[in-house]
Amino acid sequence: MRTRQSRLSLTIIAVALSMIAAACTTSEDTADTTAPAAVTTAADTETTTAATEATEPAADTTEPAPSGDVTNPGLYVHAADDEPLSLDPAGVAAGEAGETVILQVYERLVEIGPGGPDLVPGLSTDVPTVDNGLISEDGLTYTFPIRDGVVFHDGSALSADVVKFNWDRVLTMDLPEGNGSIIADLVDSTSVDGNNFVVTLNERNAAFLNSVVTAAVASIVSQDAVEANGGVVAGQPNDFFTGNAVGSGAYRLTAWNRGETIELEVFEDYWGEPANLDVRIQQVPDSDVRVLGLRAGDFDSIETDPTFVTDLEGADGVTIFQEGWLLEPVHIGLNLDIQEDLLPPEDTVPADFFWDPRVRQAFNYAFNYENFIQGGLSGLGGTVPHYLPQGMLAYDDSLVRYATDLARAEELFRETGWWDEGFTMTVLVEEGGIFETAGLVLKDSMAALNPSFVVNVAAVVEVQFDDAHAQVPFEYAAWIKNADPFADPAALFAAYEHPDGEWGSVHKFRNGYQDADGIAALIDEAAVSIDTERRIEIYQELTQLLFDDPMWVLAGNERALMAHRDWVQNFQMNPLWPRPSLKFALFNK
Amino acid sequence: MQIREYVIRRLLVLPLILVGTSLIVFTLGRVGGNPIAIYLEHEMTPEEVAQIEERYGLNESLPEQYVAWVGGVLRGDLGFSGVSAAPVMEVLPDRLAATLELSIASAIIAVSMGIGLGTFAGARRDRLPDHLTRVFAISGAATPIFWFAIVMLIIFWVYLGWFPVGRSDATIFNSISHPTGLYTIDAILAGSFTAFRDAIWHLALPAVTLGYGATAIITRMMRSSLAEELNEDYVDAARAKGLPERLVLRRHARRNALIPTVTVIGLGFGFLLQGSVVVEIIFIWPGLGRWMADAVLRGDQATIMAYVLFTSILFLIVNLIVDVLYAYLDRRVVLGS
Repeated sequence: MRTRQSRLSLTIIAVALSMIAAACTTSEDTADTTAPAAVTTAADTETTTAATEATEPAADTTEPAPSGDVTNPGLYVHAADDEPLSLDPAGVAAGEAGETVILQVYERLVEIGPGGPDLVPGLSTDVPTVDNGLISEDGLTYTFPIRDGVVFHDGSALSADVVKFNWDRVLTMDLPEGNGSIIADLVDSTSVDGNNFVVTLNERNAAFLNSVVTAAVASIVSQDAVEANGGVVAGQPNDFFTGNAVGSGAYRLTAWNRGETIELEVFEDYWGEPANLDVRIQQVPDSDVRVLGLRAGDFDSIETDPTFVTDLEGADGVTIFQEGWLLEPVHIGLNLDIQEDLLPPEDTVPADFFWDPRVRQAFNYAFNYENFIQGGLSGLGGTVPHYLPQGMLAYDDSLVRYATDLARAEELFRETGWWDEGFTMTVLVEEGGIFETAGLVLKDSMAALNPSFVVNVAAVVEVQFDDAHAQVPFEYAAWIKNADPFADPAALFAAYEHPDGEWGSVHKFRNGYQDADGIAALIDEAAVSIDTERRIEIYQELTQLLFDDPMWVLAGNERALMAHRDWVQNFQMNPLWPRPSLKFALFNK
Repeated sequence: MQIREYVIRRLLVLPLILVGTSLIVFTLGRVGGNPIAIYLEHEMTPEEVAQIEERYGLNESLPEQYVAWVGGVLRGDLGFSGVSAAPVMEVLPDRLAATLELSIASAIIAVSMGIGLGTFAGARRDRLPDHLTRVFAISGAATPIFWFAIVMLIIFWVYLGWFPVGRSDATIFNSISHPTGLYTIDAILAGSFTAFRDAIWHLALPAVTLGYGATAIITRMMRSSLAEELNEDYVDAARAKGLPERLVLRRHARRNALIPTVTVIGLGFGFLLQGSVVVEIIFIWPGLGRWMADAVLRGDQATIMAYVLFTSILFLIVNLIVDVLYAYLDRRVVLGS
């Protein structure tokens, strides 16, 4: 008995000692920071959309090395909040976490540069413009000269035929969960001319380069790898590419440890400026743990939202990057296709509640923007004109936008008869986070204006929200979400303001617009114009028209935020890149 | 009934229990939301939604879908995990191994600490060590695991830097083969002290955190049970025979006190599986619990069904072991009666 107990005690002591020994001896590898001369080029910052010139080297962005030890030298660790559903460019939805990896491991014909909206050559040696002859005079034909010497991660070579194979692949697969429709809707045909890839559009489109050619869905995959791994099957995802990647980018995917990490390795045969650091994207769903990991120095950057900022301000060794704005305003959708029998039983709003523009204006005047921006966005946000977020082509600080004006809201509700009658309505939101906050601010704003204005906030989990959000007709009077991060106003206006667009058709904007055809004509004209000045003029005119006839309450827009360690050099973030809006190849530490 | 006969009978009933459990979860899953919600986008047309439903066989009737799922299980195909973007059977073994390793480590901590502390306190009833142990037990049972986990991280990860999060150092993990999926065991099999140390180093914090609550419950049960046993006549008889107090405690009282404690340990394993969801999220531990949490939040039915199936099997096996152990400890117990 004694011997057995002694053995047990010894075992426990041994395990305890091994834990302590592990804790003491396996401290993180540290090393003094070296500061290689990281000279990168930034794009020329001329603000054009359809006709962006190839850019010249603009700045030497070498930064001095920070003092102190760097954790994980040679490796950049980004803590993400979400795991991809697919790594296949043909199967990834806009805004989905898979785009993060696709941006690093795949390339497109042209790319959005780090400095702003300007385009830089990618797998095409030139950015097509009318001036350089790569866009036809009628604006319908785009020619992309394909870069020589580009190899994929499997060793196969890039050619114009491979590019055509890729665009055809997306159209053939036509996956409903993917984003292929943005190509299918615009492209009439594709062809190869020598080593040029030629695209003919079915109508002129000002956003073709910015919104389609640079999109994740237009990323170029190794044809050899596709053919060796399932080929192309109409309507079916490719299981291999759902979880693997064979691109030509500065990084190659080496492992996807589900639920844990995605490992990217510097691709030595990359045709351009090689990346400096290997990358690990660590899945960290809990925001508190991301903050702690950044403080501990185990993460170099973390997926950040405004609520963390107070936790991190002043933290040793941490910098909060907050330049520019996201392109995803938080908006309150007003349903102009209310089906009274489908609404929650306590709701009293009729089918035509939002048809009167004065009611929609009244909601816009009643909303307490300051409370939302200070509370929901921790002060790191601003109001938005309809529908032009900061940083978007045509945006100007002087553009008209709503501010809280309770007197005007009351006046409008009185005019429409709702002031005395009162109403109850339910707004659907995803629980937690800024959407629920926006819902509560709306509820409080309306109750403060008139106690007989009752807004119930139905906060549901993500899956229930997504399910309800996709229903047609929509079963609530209103809902709250953020916009998709489009790179060009044409896509934003088409999706969110056009009477026959994605949301206009679902929520029946034509029931409410005073001049639906006029608004549609302006949006359509701006979408096909290749005269940038004219486009700016149209979009600015639209902001005034949509101020008078708003289809949304634009609660606010977030500043672009990313918390990172001080030792990260040449940190850059471009909200036009898929979230987290980072290209790791630019960084060093 | 002989133990072997009892075990065989219980194992034969196992598939029936699994069918019942899976039927309940399958039905609830369909009632609770659209099984393809994970793929839905608001701009999808009804035709596109129908295309996805057809791809995953969701255009069939519910009974047909269930039969198809059972057929898949029998063929070793549990469907496609949306949250992991891979077939369930590709992901499940690693996830299961990670959770098992964490749960077993926590159970070892909880059982050894719980029985030890409970014995220590029970033998010193109403004295200072007993009071201190009771404070420990009550605080362990009352402390929210989420909060405790965060506190552990702040102290041992952020400030002291003694322990990391995650399951492993990727480089070390990939340097050895993983025949069992249990990192510690694989490290021993590979003869790699570096890997073993890495495994223990990563396992320590989550295992202690997860084991804390269960330790407290086992401690409390063991302490009460032992205190009661020490008042029994047979203990007085043993003392009267002149046996040293140490032997009275270990040979007689503790063995009997273990009988109710073993039942609690069995239930405690279920507690560990439930607690692992929170601990896995906080400590970035790539196990079943975190997988399940992702699946529930994003409506991934294939993953939810796989989780329920395997945790049911685990739970049933553990309970079977507890029953057998119970009979071993108390010869008066007749299994299956």
